[in-house]
Amino acid sequence: MTQAATGTATIGIDRGGTLRAWFLVGPAMLFIGVLFVLPLIRIVVTSVTDPTVSLRNYVEFFSAGLYARVLANTIYTALTVTVCCLLLGYPLAYVIVRRGGTLAVILLLVVGMSFWTSFLVRTYAWMVILGNRGPVVAAFHWFGVDPAPQVLYTRFSSTLGMVHILIPYMVMSLYAAMRKINPDHLRAAASLGASPFQAFRNVYLPLSLPGVVNGCTLVFIICLGFYVTPVLLGGPRDQMIAGLIGEQIQELLEWGLASAMAVVLLATTLALLAIYNRLVGLDKLWG
Amino acid sequence: MRHNSTAANGIRRDGAVTRRRFLGSGIVAATSAIVAPYVIRSAAAKGETLYINTWGGSWERSASESFFQPFTKATGVEIKTQSPVTFAKLKAEVVTGQYEWDVTTQGQPDCVRALRENLLEPVNYKIVDPAKLSPNAITYNGIASHALGTCLAYRKDRFPNGGPQSWKDFWDIARFPGNRSMYKNAARVLPAALLADGVPRDKLFPLDVDRAFRKLDQIKPHIKVWWQDGSQSEQLLRDNEVDMIQIWNGRAAQLIRQKVPVQLVWRDAEILTVNWIVVRGTPRADLAWKYIQFAHQPELQAKFALTMDYGPANPKAFEYIPEAAAKQLPTWHENEKVAYHPDPEWTGAHMNDIAKRFNAWLVS
Repeated sequence: MTQAATGTATIGIDRGGTLRAWFLVGPAMLFIGVLFVLPLIRIVVTSVTDPTVSLRNYVEFFSAGLYARVLANTIYTALTVTVCCLLLGYPLAYVIVRRGGTLAVILLLVVGMSFWTSFLVRTYAWMVILGNRGPVVAAFHWFGVDPAPQVLYTRFSSTLGMVHILIPYMVMSLYAAMRKINPDHLRAAASLGASPFQAFRNVYLPLSLPGVVNGCTLVFIICLGFYVTPVLLGGPRDQMIAGLIGEQIQELLEWGLASAMAVVLLATTLALLAIYNRLVGLDKLWG
Repeated sequence: MRHNSTAANGIRRDGAVTRRRFLGSGIVAATSAIVAPYVIRSAAAKGETLYINTWGGSWERSASESFFQPFTKATGVEIKTQSPVTFAKLKAEVVTGQYEWDVTTQGQPDCVRALRENLLEPVNYKIVDPAKLSPNAITYNGIASHALGTCLAYRKDRFPNGGPQSWKDFWDIARFPGNRSMYKNAARVLPAALLADGVPRDKLFPLDVDRAFRKLDQIKPHIKVWWQDGSQSEQLLRDNEVDMIQIWNGRAAQLIRQKVPVQLVWRDAEILTVNWIVVRGTPRADLAWKYIQFAHQPELQAKFALTMDYGPANPKAFEYIPEAAAKQLPTWHENEKVAYHPDPEWTGAHMNDIAKRFNAWLVS
């Protein structure tokens, strides 16, 4: 009984110490190790052994202008999507947190339902909405613009689809951070003579910055690996690197080159995470 | 008085059924009920299922009615399908030894390609009897199943004064304005470009690749979408996302049946013979060859041809097809006269190179 009263302030690591910790973490580590780490190692090995043991896949990747251009396009698109998600998601999260009440619940529900709907379904929904028989083209015709400008299979539609799918991530991150901001700070600022805008700019915004960085990093990294949506909604020039990897695997059977591209993408992502860790700290990612 | 205390393991001394014990046995019963089908099924089903790779959608429905269900009725072997067809899966299965499906269909050029990479099971002449098949049915380790036409099709309602009648017309933006789509497959697109450039049908192969790409540069800005999936091509034409498209004749025929105003053009079409092939090393190879031989019967081929509009490989099947329907098939003699057959050897050998160049060209 005394054990329970005194020793259990640290969670579970009281007696049996590290052994018990390993025992608890063991199954999960085995799961991730066998099903995630091992295949990843195999991909890295394939990238340097298929078709011959050499670095020629990497050389081909960086020397052919095509692949580097697609990678640059991917990063640029991911940046665009991140900025759009931020601009749209910040006000949404702000209203949810500050207003509260029924409106906040409804908004959260809407964001949640969008989040839980399969992204493939949402992509197809955009195909219908932006397609020739959809409301957008109908609106153009109604305003007398015939033939309507092409909306589907463009950079715009591809970006729009990705923003729609990734906004819930941004809103959730911002919401988690904004919730912790004590509203008394803003009242204090008002009592010291700040206008609402000044209070927002000097107090609220800096306090919400960790959430902003969180959300942006999350959205950016997910967007880097986006496969289905750009393929279904975008044109052939808007292809992102994941689509290119898919092509190499499915049609061209160039598995060595595809592995090399996947490794480059992974390295880029890890580099970004390293920068993020340097600036903010990885443990901040989960609040 | 005896204490009906419950011991630590939940069993009362007097043996009565306590809530804990009931729950415990209930969980055991439920688990075994859930697990039982898997255990029992795997014991009984060994060797009784054949896994076939299909193109999905309307193709799979037709094949199921024409080939799979009759086979199951005749032999009792269950057929499970998987779609879509990708060449990469074929290679993956041979490399990893995991067989998700045993039988697939591929055009003859891809069969050549698969042969070069040693991915196909050689024909098992103990099961397959060439006398039962039509002559020339066995090519490239596969048995011919049907002939597929890749043609030009357009929406009649967008071209009331007549639409494009050849690839040259497809390239003519001035006379035939509208949204276009083509198949994202180098082996299909390059010959079309050459035909549009005036190369006669019998002089197509070996392909003049540079000339084809120069011609393709002209049409590139006008192609709204490059489709990759058969159902996608159907949907593009049905929803009028595009006004003219390079499409498989069977898919266009489905649209026409559904009363969509589509016109199919046979001039400059490509007629490709598709083989049933067996993956190398699959444990169910014998079953696979039995199925493939079964599927070559003229009545079944006729049924598939009537529902899917792909030409039967077995000429005897034409005896079961009424002439009106036969006119829509790729292997109808009138249609064959204005179409071309790809050269499987050349295409199979150069497929990778032209595909690579084509994909790079698409993204640039």
